[in-house]
Amino acid sequence: MDKSTIVCKCEEINIDEIETALKAGACQFDDIKRLTRCGMGPCQSKVCTNMVREIIAAYTGEPMEHIEYPKNRMPIKITRLGVLVANQETSSVVSVFKESVSEVDTNG
Amino acid sequence: MEFELVIIGGGPAGLMAALTAAEKGVKTAIVEESFALGGQLRQQAQVLENLPKEFGKQSGIALAKFFSNKVSSIGVTALLGHTMIGTYRNGTIGVSNGKDTFPIYAKKILVTTGAAEQAALFPGWTLPGVMTIGAAQILLNRERVLPGKEAVVLGCNSISYDIAKQLRACGVNVQGIIEKKSIDEIDKELIEKFESENIEVFFHSNIEKAAGKQHVEKVWIDNDVLKKEREIDLVCISNGLYPVTEPLELLDCEFTYIENLGGRIPKYGSSFTTSNSSVYVAGNAAGITCIEGILVTASIAVTGILEDLAILNNIEAKKQKEILWTELLKAETGRYSKVHDARISLVNDFLPKEI
Ligand SMILES: Cc1cc2nc3c(=O)[nH]c(=O)nc-3n(C[C@H](O)[C@H](O)[C@H](O)COP(=O)(O)OP(=O)(O)OC[C@H]3O[C@@H](n4cnc5c(N)ncnc54)[C@H](O)[C@@H]3O)c2cc1C
Ligand code: FES
Repeated sequence: MDKSTIVCKCEEINIDEIETALKAGACQFDDIKRLTRCGMGPCQSKVCTNMVREIIAAYTGEPMEHIEYPKNRMPIKITRLGVLVANQETSSVVSVFKESVSEVDTNG
Repeated sequence: MEFELVIIGGGPAGLMAALTAAEKGVKTAIVEESFALGGQLRQQAQVLENLPKEFGKQSGIALAKFFSNKVSSIGVTALLGHTMIGTYRNGTIGVSNGKDTFPIYAKKILVTTGAAEQAALFPGWTLPGVMTIGAAQILLNRERVLPGKEAVVLGCNSISYDIAKQLRACGVNVQGIIEKKSIDEIDKELIEKFESENIEVFFHSNIEKAAGKQHVEKVWIDNDVLKKEREIDLVCISNGLYPVTEPLELLDCEFTYIENLGGRIPKYGSSFTTSNSSVYVAGNAAGITCIEGILVTASIAVTGILEDLAILNNIEAKKQKEILWTELLKAETGRYSKVHDARISLVNDFLPKEI
């Protein structure tokens, strides 16, 4: 297939860019994501997940069941930062992004 | 906000569950991202033939209306335009309504987030005029916009049959169905249905590419016999569905991979409880199935929830579940028997943990 074919249409990432990431050492979807932004668009990889996984499977020769899915982190849907902090009592950014801050940060 | 049961997703599975729970007096809320209840039923104009007896035969659109009316009259809190976007540190679900983000406390959470459509990769698939059948359904049946005049449909399945028929009824010329598999791999009954409608199916073929200046104008079909370019302005892709499970991932549920259920799938037991004992799953999020299966899985999950909340006693719940699992087996026979077998092995694998 033509390597310029777009796979992730939100971020306009094509087959060539994905294969380049794989050649550079990417093994799984999230590696490609970190290198190219593939899967980070408005649909949050709803559209491209399996197409990217198929390209990884073809490249590595692994069966599809061994190809990981991208990790979902919050917020799982497009959310304005202002909305996350809107109600300070219940939803400071700190508490919503629980995985990105340590206990010390939250208490201080 | 505090409820006994919070349901994430107001499609047929979530609505069925909400009705049954509310009828038993459970304080129930539905968190639904869009501004209407009904989920993917909202654009399904075809008549659903095999619904459970109490529903008769009706279109998806009618069933969605029936459910929404019933749900609001029975006192279920429907939080429309509300999206579950995450969880708080203590596991409480976090919901956003576009202005504010807040926690919703629940004794039990049922995730019925449905399925997403699988696109298909070929050069030109991102051109305007190339769309999934779901998009075509929405344009045609919800927005009343004709998506094109000359169409090909990728994928020979029951969903593509319905959309091909609907397109035709609206005056679109459906040039044919393009199917990768050979004729022996496709359900005979389905092939007969296409034949009776005079819709041509090209087996052993695929779309090699699509092209056009600002809109799709041509497709090339890579079939040894056909190998020809066709002038079209609409390509509908019907390439299957896969479960939407992000909320379950955030709720720390364990996953496994089962091709016949749609790929990555949460582990669950015979009451559709996940590895997080306060979280349940049903509908297409628990494995891609038919509409009857979607409704029955929701009923089973609610039975489990009612048992957990001590509204049903163990004996009643067990009896109820046995009846429902028999119904599910009946719903998932024939074309869906592989789905059912996969489900049974998933449930059996889960058993040791339940003890
Ligand atoms: C585009 C499309 C077209 C389809 N067409 C057909 C067809 O023609 N025939 C057929 O038999 N089947 C069809 N299906 C299959 C369809 O999935 C089922 O018919 C049925 O609607 C699934 O029921 P459900 O309740 O499991 O999920 P859904 O009906 O998908 O409902 C899930 C609901 O959850 C909501 N939701 C998701 N995530 C969140 C969140 N984080 N927070 C809040 N709400 C959320 C969604 O907005 C949605 O309303 C189609 C599926 C899709 C995706
Ligand atoms: S298509 Fe890749 S993020 Fe949307």
